[in-house]
Amino acid sequence: MIAIPYLTALSTYFSYGLLFAFGQLRDFFRKIVDWWRASTLDGYAPICLGLEDFYIRRLYLRIQDCFGRPISSAPDAWFDVVERYSNDNNKTLKRTTKTSKCLNLGSYNYLGFAAADEYCTPRAIESLKKFAASTCSTRVDGGTTMLHTDLEECVARFVGKPAAVVFGMGYVTNSAILPILMGKGGLIISDSLNHNSIVNGARGSGATIRVFQHNTPSHLETVLREQIAEGQPRTHRPWKKIMVIVEGIYSMEGELCKLPEIVSICKKYKAYVYLDEAHSIGAVGKSGRGVCELLGVDTADVDVMMGTFTKSFGSCGGYIAGSKELVQYLKYTCPAHLYGTAISPPGAQQIISSIKVILGEDGSNRGAQKLARIRENSNFFRSELQKMGFEVLGDNDSPVMPIMLYNPAKIPAFSRECLRQKVAVVTVAFPATPLLLARARICISAAHTKEDLVKALEVISGVGDLVGIKYFPAEPNKQHQEHGTIKLE
Amino acid sequence: MYVRAVPPTDLNRNTEWFTYPGVWTTYIIILFTSWFMVLCLLGCSAGTAWTVVHLAHFIVTYHFFHWKKGTPFADDQGIYNGLTWWEQIENGKQLTRNRKFLTVVPVVLYLIASHTTDYQNPMLFFNTLAVFVLVVAKFPHMHKVRIFGINGDF
Repeated sequence: MIAIPYLTALSTYFSYGLLFAFGQLRDFFRKIVDWWRASTLDGYAPICLGLEDFYIRRLYLRIQDCFGRPISSAPDAWFDVVERYSNDNNKTLKRTTKTSKCLNLGSYNYLGFAAADEYCTPRAIESLKKFAASTCSTRVDGGTTMLHTDLEECVARFVGKPAAVVFGMGYVTNSAILPILMGKGGLIISDSLNHNSIVNGARGSGATIRVFQHNTPSHLETVLREQIAEGQPRTHRPWKKIMVIVEGIYSMEGELCKLPEIVSICKKYKAYVYLDEAHSIGAVGKSGRGVCELLGVDTADVDVMMGTFTKSFGSCGGYIAGSKELVQYLKYTCPAHLYGTAISPPGAQQIISSIKVILGEDGSNRGAQKLARIRENSNFFRSELQKMGFEVLGDNDSPVMPIMLYNPAKIPAFSRECLRQKVAVVTVAFPATPLLLARARICISAAHTKEDLVKALEVISGVGDLVGIKYFPAEPNKQHQEHGTIKLE
Repeated sequence: MYVRAVPPTDLNRNTEWFTYPGVWTTYIIILFTSWFMVLCLLGCSAGTAWTVVHLAHFIVTYHFFHWKKGTPFADDQGIYNGLTWWEQIENGKQLTRNRKFLTVVPVVLYLIASHTTDYQNPMLFFNTLAVFVLVVAKFPHMHKVRIFGINGDF
């Protein structure tokens, strides 16, 4: 539930309407000008219809310099951002050789493993020397090294399931597994704010897709009852399989999933639960085991647990953890396993080492320190931002905090002004978020020190005043309150 | 001062923005603002200004709601390419509150335009034609109907 000031909603619609109108006007004139010029196509159909890339051409390209900024160092707490300039109003951007050192509030670096780590990096370099940078093969041909089998056991033990299978890419994990698990005649019920990989996988599977209101278990129950009663479309036969897909932490909201209620509803109606823990594995929970540990859900109740290694483990790839039979079946049928290249060995070694650090098996308590630090950092940052009057989404303990911007003009203003003051933030707008609800998404890391966070708060507060995004009344300082009471007395 | 926004269950990002609060008010404010601008720019009578607004509204809404098909993003992969915006909203469910509102607005505009021009020809003819076309295009029976194949798929 987001509370929008009414006037802001009206002005946001008006701004988008104006941008849309100008874009259409420019398209109209472009069509007239192009009519006179000879076409190079000569009988071929155009690659995209004029309407399809309207958003990219007329809205996204105008503020292109706020997205896709190249960096020239490891994405640690501070990193180097390459400066770019444009001669044709952001249609093309050219890189310069200058870089500026900025505070990194955008990378998914929850536990600080993105930069060189004293335990993980030497081991990754050793495995690079031993195994080479790539396995140059799929898992079934020649790509399964000892590292891969170790990694799968390690992940299964960490997550709390009997077995796991790993893939080279996180997006592909969702979009290649869902068509295997579900087929025509099945029903997929997915949260309305699920990630694009889940939406694509569900569409590719051929099953019927129904959506329930974000994080609302009562609506999930309504949808389940309705669908089970109606059966398959047109034939009304019973569904072959029903699967409910939810995420641990929603990356655009920073909210935790209401897992206990959802799991109990699914058990009642005999539906499978698929939990996508891309942002929550390694970052929440007392020992970093994800949202199941945090909310006290038994991992045996969640049928398929999926996650990625990009966020907390500083590597790349994805995994699926489940029962032994499920993982065995996936290894026979999943195209990402049969035909896709295996995870590169240094990447696999990085994951194994980072899991060891998190669990404390490397002999130190750095893992527990990192987890405590990220929790403290997130809670401190979120409460300070809320005290300043920003509208921040997300639950406590969640390291993802979106700050609402709403107006399309505030997106480039916030992004550029923060960059000028050496703080790099990621702004997200339509179509990744709903039209009204554009936001700046901050990802807190265990590598941020208190001074970094205080500096970030100062910069964001100053920029927030300039841009005008402090939608809630700021809480008065405690000192003023005390003065007030003293004066009254 | 604040309104609550609940994310809707519509997956089509081209149309789900219409279910958020504030859309109806913005629409009406835009209509009034454009009437005012027409009055300032053309310096005509109030009735002519309303007729101009009504006909411009007809052209704009017919083009964008009932003529243009598909969505302005490529990653919808063309699943809505055969449907106009009107057929896409709320997943094709007919007679919802939004649809009823959008059907009433051209009729109210027509009444205002014809009242302020005292029902004189030729403005009355054009206004009536415009509102007739718009309201018929919004009937539930016209869902996915292409008369004589106009604007049909290839």
